[in-house]
Amino acid sequence: MSVLDRVLPPGLTSGGLVLRVVLALLPCAALALALPEVPHLVVTTMVVACSVRWAVTPDHPAGAAALMLVAAWWAVHDVVDWRVLVVAVLLLAAHLVATLLAHGPAALPVDPRLAGLWLRRALLALVPMPVAWLAVRGLDAELAPSWLWIVVALVLGVLLVLTSRILVPEAE
Amino acid sequence: MSTWRPTPSLVRASLLALGGLAGGVVGGLDVLVVLAAPFVILAGMGLAGRPRHLPTVSTRIDHHRLHEGQGTTSRLVVDDLAGVEHATRVAGPAPHVATRPTYGAAGSLVDAGLPLIEFSPRRWGRRAIGAERVGLTSAWAGWQWGPVDMPEHGLSVLPQTAPYDSRAEVPQPDGLVGRHRSRRIGSGTEFEGIRHFASGDRLRRITWPVSLRTGELHVVTTRAEQDAGVWLVVDGLRDIGRSGGIDGAASTLDLTVRAAAALAEHHVRTGDRVGLLVVAADPSRVPLGSGPRHLQRIHAVLARIRTEGRSVAPERLDLGAGAGSVVHVLSPMLFTPLVTATASLQRSGASVVVIDTWGERDPGTDRLAWASLAARMQKIERDDRLDRLAALGCPVVPWRGPGTLDTVLQQLARRARVPKVRAR
Repeated sequence: MSVLDRVLPPGLTSGGLVLRVVLALLPCAALALALPEVPHLVVTTMVVACSVRWAVTPDHPAGAAALMLVAAWWAVHDVVDWRVLVVAVLLLAAHLVATLLAHGPAALPVDPRLAGLWLRRALLALVPMPVAWLAVRGLDAELAPSWLWIVVALVLGVLLVLTSRILVPEAE
Repeated sequence: MSTWRPTPSLVRASLLALGGLAGGVVGGLDVLVVLAAPFVILAGMGLAGRPRHLPTVSTRIDHHRLHEGQGTTSRLVVDDLAGVEHATRVAGPAPHVATRPTYGAAGSLVDAGLPLIEFSPRRWGRRAIGAERVGLTSAWAGWQWGPVDMPEHGLSVLPQTAPYDSRAEVPQPDGLVGRHRSRRIGSGTEFEGIRHFASGDRLRRITWPVSLRTGELHVVTTRAEQDAGVWLVVDGLRDIGRSGGIDGAASTLDLTVRAAAALAEHHVRTGDRVGLLVVAADPSRVPLGSGPRHLQRIHAVLARIRTEGRSVAPERLDLGAGAGSVVHVLSPMLFTPLVTATASLQRSGASVVVIDTWGERDPGTDRLAWASLAARMQKIERDDRLDRLAALGCPVVPWRGPGTLDTVLQQLARRARVPKVRAR
């Protein structure tokens, strides 16, 4: 038995292994797009650690932490150029790869039909992203009518309620 | 009872969507809105896809009785699949049971049919299969039901019917009708001789060529054909060696049980009456009988044999076998009391054949290791017991499959025809 066999979970398929490696690399790549500007060591370390943990267990909350760290870094540095679009695609890809892997244990082979279905959904989910990017770059927030902010606040409120609802576990 | 719970994927998408929009609107971080935009779609679709009903899930297997090496399929039964997009099943490993997929994990989109898991028992005995966990996922991976533990199914695995055939006659057939040549003359088809015609002979027995050549009427005589009572004594006291199932090495009990199954099938097919006596911690006895249903009964009893360390060999084998019965004792002969019981049976007039099911054993590389020394001592004692049995006139043959018993049964048949002098 090789060292690799001892480390990897039993029954891990080659497709699953490739997807896990990709999952570990995607958030790191999204952060690496900032080069030559080097993110703070703490941020880099945390993103790498969370990504690796996420790749091991695609259900783990470390995945959300990795995505949020990367998104927060880009938001704090207020970069609105083309790289934001690539970062968004990479984060979405990481999320979908994790979703695909989380359908079963490591021994479950990746279903090509399921992968195809999620690829189509990813393309659909990407539709609002360029719209939002163009809006952010082309629209002046100070010129927006006041009702827009009320609508946005309402949407946020609804989302907050829904999110809090799903975060509270139901009694069985 | 499990309910529909949000998946980690939905929680993650919702957090990113909400955090991104909140950060963009409240904190003025525009980039977050761009990054969160795809997750808004995913979170919204996932939340909206919650199934309304709780499913009732069960599993069933196609067969409850199989032979070694055969396979059955476990099917998932879900009463209400509305809103369910994907089903996942993971079967736990069971000893001597192979699964397909190899690690027992199967999943598929519900549109393509519910996932199947195939089980193939590799060794006879009682097997429990189908202990598995089932999980369902809603559309857009928003909600999950389970994983829920499914109860296992009992499977009776009958020993493989190893290819076995014998052309030898049973030494002392004692029944009414059958395929074995009787010692008595009767209306069979086996040629016995030609003699002068006598009153009472049937006309169709007249052999005209001989009658014409000699000028006197001659008739052909034939032997009657009878069935025989065959007893199989199976030693289930110990199991020596590691069983690799049908694909690997065979333990002594594997050899014993498979040989007994093959012999039973052969004799039942021949039309003989077959009985079974299992010598084990939980002994069982099947009286003489014939026919396919009787064979199934014998196989089922063989499949239930279990060894236990506390089991002891009996002092005598109580078969109730008549003098005309043939007794096959299938055993590695590891216990002196069993050897004594076999010798007693031989003295009582039954035709006893010991079938040695020790098989080929690897002596080990290190001859001075404790296990190797113990195995050699055991072999010396066993050889001594078998030699003493052979000295008593009880033939001992190692099990080799087809033709194992041909020579020894022919010798027993010849011995049975020799006139005996009995002291009064």
